[in-house]
Amino acid sequence: MNRLALIAAAFLPLCGFAADTLHVYTWADYVSPDVVEAFEDEHDCKVVIDTFDSNESMYARIKAGAAGYDLIFPTSYMVKVMQAEGILRDLDHAALPNLKNIDPDVLTKVHDAKMTVSVPYTVGYAVIAVRKDRIKDAEASWTMFDRTDLGRRSTLFDDMRETVGAALKSLGYSLNSRDEKQLAEARDVVIRWKKNIAKFDNEGYKAGLDSGEFLLVHGYSGDLFQVTEENDRVEILVPKEGVTIGCDEMVIPKNAPQPALALKFINYLLDAEVAAKNMQWMGYLCPNTEALKRVSADFLENPAVTVPEEIKARCEVIDDLGPDLAKWTKVWDEIKAAP
Amino acid sequence: MKRSLLPLLITALVLVFFYAPLVVLVVNSFNESRFGGTWEGFTLKWYEKLWAADEVWAALWVTLKVAVTATLAATVLGTLAAWVLRSYATKFQGVHHGLVTLPLVVPDLLMGMALLALFVSLGVETGIVTIWIAHVTFCISYVAMVVLGRLRDFDPTLIDAARDLGASPWQAARKVVLPLLLPGILAGALLAFTLSIDDFVITFFVSGPGTTTLPLRIAGMMKTSRNLPVINALSSLLLCLTCLAVTVSYRLNRPPAKS
Repeated sequence: MNRLALIAAAFLPLCGFAADTLHVYTWADYVSPDVVEAFEDEHDCKVVIDTFDSNESMYARIKAGAAGYDLIFPTSYMVKVMQAEGILRDLDHAALPNLKNIDPDVLTKVHDAKMTVSVPYTVGYAVIAVRKDRIKDAEASWTMFDRTDLGRRSTLFDDMRETVGAALKSLGYSLNSRDEKQLAEARDVVIRWKKNIAKFDNEGYKAGLDSGEFLLVHGYSGDLFQVTEENDRVEILVPKEGVTIGCDEMVIPKNAPQPALALKFINYLLDAEVAAKNMQWMGYLCPNTEALKRVSADFLENPAVTVPEEIKARCEVIDDLGPDLAKWTKVWDEIKAAP
Repeated sequence: MKRSLLPLLITALVLVFFYAPLVVLVVNSFNESRFGGTWEGFTLKWYEKLWAADEVWAALWVTLKVAVTATLAATVLGTLAAWVLRSYATKFQGVHHGLVTLPLVVPDLLMGMALLALFVSLGVETGIVTIWIAHVTFCISYVAMVVLGRLRDFDPTLIDAARDLGASPWQAARKVVLPLLLPGILAGALLAFTLSIDDFVITFFVSGPGTTTLPLRIAGMMKTSRNLPVINALSSLLLCLTCLAVTVSYRLNRPPAKS
């Protein structure tokens, strides 16, 4: 009897009864449910998705030893941190033929250009958006924040890297500058802008722009794209001086129970047809050259999807600053303390 | 004599303070606008999307499973703890008391980290069981505190009286002590249930693959989801259910009307 059970148990996986489960740890509504379902059918497995709300909280858990996830979607700078910790598995490129679809441009910006441990999943820009019904002569430039005629109805990110980064860009410097003189100049720019804005804000700008409370906001392209879908009086502008690029990537932790299945899922998401369907569902841009040929014209109209090449060249990914971070914190404190 | 309008004004302010957010939430669940800044027209689309949002339902299911079972366990253990703390004076009474109250004052963040560190060092995989253990841990303290409060008014000589009148210890506990403590126990259980159902910080640390609870899910949706008003729809439904349950329980408990 026992032996029989053992034999049965041994054959179960072959018969496909015991379906494998893939555990994905990602942002909410970041993969289309249809795409997930199609993958489950194709590979006879189950995909369980858990969500986190910030890179820091995800990292705190993983660092403390939380295990069981096969695939995680951290932002580029967090990939660097996790790789340095040695908790990411090297990717087997032979199992990822669809890597060829990745936009080579994006790879020049991200930390892990050779995709040793991470594959870019989405790309977003920190841009500005305006109510074009209220601001007639809006310009795609950071100098918009110097305008005093908006009645302080604008917002800048409450985020040191984004806002000081924007000021550095407006001066023509790198947004990863470690030069104290450049940072001091950027500080003065932000203090000047601060007099013209309503507040530093990370969450309320979408609703505020939609309702007309704010006329000009500094926000993420994916979020602002959602606002333009709802409200055609809102227009996204990509400042010509250059902006920050955010890139969320896919990584497999070393302690993943199902690394082979995770590789299959990555490869599936990189498939041109799948990626086209997926990005139109979630509203964020996948840096997938083949997929972009298959999306609707509406989607391509999104200015944050088709950024002009000369602006793209001035965009940068936020890089980890190491010990120089202190210089930034000091400048940010001075900005916050300024009247 | 003209009556002062002040009490009325204060009542109105308090009502607005408590209920305005709920009204906004319910109204926005029918709002066409995704961001709820302005009224864009009536819609039921968020309820439709909620119906199809499997991940939200899965999260609600995990949350309820944990909340119900953790409340049961914490109520029993918390009541026993309160009883023992009250009835037996030992050398370490103060220490025991402190140990039971500790989870009330320890910051959630610390507790979450500590529990996760413990589970990891013991090699326990995080999941629904670890969430349950964590919730029982902090709920016990709340139940014990509420029941202890009730016990302050409890006259222990009633037990002696019952025993004198021929009740066995078990009968005395069941027929005298329990009915007198029941309001406290139920209040403690309700408190535990509410705390468990909306705990975020501790749950965040001790949850595992496949056990995203509703608060974790909602926090995640704040950042990236295009369907955030689905949460308004779900909250409105939960609100209706709660109101219904409270009304029914009031009806059941109301003494029959005298003719």
